[in-house]
Amino acid sequence: MPFDKERADFEARAKRAKAMGSPTRLAERKAAGILNARERVERLVDKDTFIEAGLFATSIKPDVREKSPGDGVVSGFGKISGRMAGVNAADFTTLGSSSAEVHGKKQYYVRETCRKNGMPMVSLMECAGGRIPDIMGAAGIGRAGEGARYTHTRETPWASAVLGLTYGGGAFTCINSDFVVMRKGAVLAVSSQMVTSVAIAEEANPEDLGGWRLHSEQTGFVHAVVDSDEDAIAQLKAFLSYLPDNANQAPPIAPAIEPVAVALDTLVPESRAKTYDVRPVIKAILDKDTYFPLKERFAKVAVTALGRINGRTVGIVASNPMFKGGALDPDACDKITSFIVLCDSFNIPLIFLADTPGFLVGAESEKKRLPGKIMNFMAALELSTVPKIALVLRKSYGQAYLNMGGGRSDVTASWFSGDISFMDPAVAVNVVYAVKPGEDPARYEQLLTQVSSGTTAYELAAPFMAQMVIDPNDTRRFLSGMLDVLTRRMTNGVGTHRLADWPPAF
Amino acid sequence: MSRSTVKTEITGKVWKVTATKGQRLAEDDPIVILESMKMEIPVPAPLDCTVVEILVAEGDSVTEGDVIAHIES
Repeated sequence: MPFDKERADFEARAKRAKAMGSPTRLAERKAAGILNARERVERLVDKDTFIEAGLFATSIKPDVREKSPGDGVVSGFGKISGRMAGVNAADFTTLGSSSAEVHGKKQYYVRETCRKNGMPMVSLMECAGGRIPDIMGAAGIGRAGEGARYTHTRETPWASAVLGLTYGGGAFTCINSDFVVMRKGAVLAVSSQMVTSVAIAEEANPEDLGGWRLHSEQTGFVHAVVDSDEDAIAQLKAFLSYLPDNANQAPPIAPAIEPVAVALDTLVPESRAKTYDVRPVIKAILDKDTYFPLKERFAKVAVTALGRINGRTVGIVASNPMFKGGALDPDACDKITSFIVLCDSFNIPLIFLADTPGFLVGAESEKKRLPGKIMNFMAALELSTVPKIALVLRKSYGQAYLNMGGGRSDVTASWFSGDISFMDPAVAVNVVYAVKPGEDPARYEQLLTQVSSGTTAYELAAPFMAQMVIDPNDTRRFLSGMLDVLTRRMTNGVGTHRLADWPPAF
Repeated sequence: MSRSTVKTEITGKVWKVTATKGQRLAEDDPIVILESMKMEIPVPAPLDCTVVEILVAEGDSVTEGDVIAHIES
């Protein structure tokens, strides 16, 4: 055969590169049930669609070339559920998938190819941090900082998985992403405990530095938590299924599946003092099995979820009275702000479901910079250009009414049970008239009736500040119809993306 | 078995204590109910657990972050 010698050499080189790093480490991972980089890519992309870039890349250092196949990352392009995407999968068995010159160039190449060609990018991350000695010295850190490699300007969706120890550059890639799923047992942090123990004499364990509980419950950096690599890959695919390939497209339309019929008025207590879980309400509105919550364990008072109504992707923002009575706190503001940025950047209509006594007032909230966070939230809302529907379920008071889209959406609507005002009528009687229920019950009741009379949904509808008042049981039909109206036909559903350059982490 | 604490997420007044010492609770079962923001707001068990001790009584004022119970899971 022609080129026999060259072919044999090519195949031997490819085999060596695809074998990745230390066989011992590969065996250890297998025993622990953790996939290696190539197994992960295999499960992520459709069969026989992967085109690898940089298979024969190695470390820039001549003495390290032999032990740096691919320079610690498997990069390329492949179809995910039939749609082309870029992929970078960290190979931790090769020098801990540490950040170094060629390692970074490969990832940047995939990223830029995705940006120029309007494709999503997926990062399957593990990273020991910056590679030493490559990054040491002025020239080392100087090379690491060249070019604008960190900024995500949301031309295309980025989705990442934290699948092991992920420090430094690997962590930053995840933080910059529109969606981050984390496997339990993985760690995401700026530096490992080896560095922190020396730098600040802190002997923190990796879980405390950046485990799944920290990031799903306290920092809110992680959108979903899973138990296995396979589950993480399933989550990445699910997330991307709701999004367009790039910011210049409307999201894909899926077949519509009717949810199990539930009378929504049975899910919400009539008494405004009673709490309930808003998630069953959301599920009853969305197409069957399309509820995809983001950051479910963080700032639980706010629900942010992707889903579909009649096949169209929507972003749901809801206050959840089950937690903190639905009073929106500083973390909830951050969570909603970043969700608005995501939806607006990728042309996903927003639906706000409000049942809130207001923002959570008090010293703790003020210490956590509540006023600034309310205004970040409001700025995101007012700068967004996607279709917005604001629906009051039961009550919506004060600035929170405005932040939950009241009066600044394409349509403001209310269930007939809506109660809308500057503050809860019971609080208003105390504040305005200084009358407490225990002191003068008759006078208190009289004033409460008086103050409450101006707070109904019809009082909002009369001056056309609400365009519709609806029966709770008509919610899905109403939303589906209005989404059909609000499709931005003049631009094929594509907005102006004034939030695309906003920071990645609030 | 590991012991942990349950903290309030919101400032308010203890309206009702609904769990008792030694009681088995499922995740999200209420331990106490606070009155705050004119709402009755439960403080739920963070996971399936047994109540070791409840540290508040009805009528007490609590601040966000206060420990209201010890649990074992």
